[in-house]
Amino acid sequence: IAGDGSQVERNLHHTRALGKGDPQVYSGQAGQPKFQVGDTVRVRELPALFYTRTQEYVRGAQGEVVAVAYESLAAEDEAWDRHDQRPEWFYIVRFDLCRLWHRYTGTERDTLQTELPERWLEACR
Amino acid sequence: MTDHDHDHDRTAAPMVDEITDFEVLEIAIRELCVEKGLFTAEDHRRFTEFAEQIGPTPAARLVARAWIDPEFKRLALADGIAASREVGVDWLQPTGFGTPSDFTALRVLEDTPTLHHVIVCTLCSCYPRPILGNSPEWYRTPNYRRRIVRWPRQVLAEFGLFLPEDVAIRVEDSNQKHRFMVLPVRPAGTENWDEDQLAQIVTRDCLIGVALPKVGVTTNAITATRPAIRPVQSPTGEGTNT
Repeated sequence: IAGDGSQVERNLHHTRALGKGDPQVYSGQAGQPKFQVGDTVRVRELPALFYTRTQEYVRGAQGEVVAVAYESLAAEDEAWDRHDQRPEWFYIVRFDLCRLWHRYTGTERDTLQTELPERWLEACR
Repeated sequence: MTDHDHDHDRTAAPMVDEITDFEVLEIAIRELCVEKGLFTAEDHRRFTEFAEQIGPTPAARLVARAWIDPEFKRLALADGIAASREVGVDWLQPTGFGTPSDFTALRVLEDTPTLHHVIVCTLCSCYPRPILGNSPEWYRTPNYRRRIVRWPRQVLAEFGLFLPEDVAIRVEDSNQKHRFMVLPVRPAGTENWDEDQLAQIVTRDCLIGVALPKVGVTTNAITATRPAIRPVQSPTGEGTNT
């Protein structure tokens, strides 16, 4: 079968996402987003053994949701091609740099944005 | 030297250049993948051709057009993928579902006189390749990835970009499927310029956020470049690694 990739199971993702793109291939599959733009959230301290895409520097930090970004598999599942993985909502969250870093030397209005899947966030009141 | 005087002629250069371990392994992996049908030689050629034709020009044109056309700017900020199509970049290519590593979600970050964006991927080197080309070497270094999120003003200053305190900095860490590019503020002195003129001053570094567009500056700041052992050759035979 040299040169023929049609029987390669891993190509399934390609087949499903053709003409749609990724993450668009997952749209409509995660239900209602738990958070809205403007919500204050805290990044949870989940175990991150073997793989995560949630940076250590945002763990436990408080931020504001600035975009309900898209639905997708969480990287923690997608990276291992888990059979039971389900799409979830992703959010772009804004953090104040002076609260993120002890003795931050820039201005109080400097910020950082990064993107996090729903499992990593909890409502903050 | 030995004491006999006839010439053994054993100083001839080897017939081929020495091949590095990386090259040996690259060939081994590629040939095995083709042999096992994971991808074809044709696939490999097409991806190489895709990687050779990408560059920062479409992103610069997107910025220039957004500066001129408020309607297009609204589109760019609302739907980066649709705006990309207007400058000739289809994020679904070359596979029909996008590139596997850049995905199909682009956000254009608008600078204002009081807000400046800069992008990074602290986890690796995620970069909006389809519209901006390949990432610069420094963007992939642990140094830039470690420092820009914590000391952005200091790092930008090293790039020659000193921002006053009334300009807030916003670092965008692309750690998931979104890719980002910066839409800088149109500089003074460009009134009545056409799209071509404007696009020329929007360099790759401006689109990352480590430089601002300036009248008369049409290239990235010149930095030391480490030469490759065997650089990629352009179709004209000219090395591109300069």
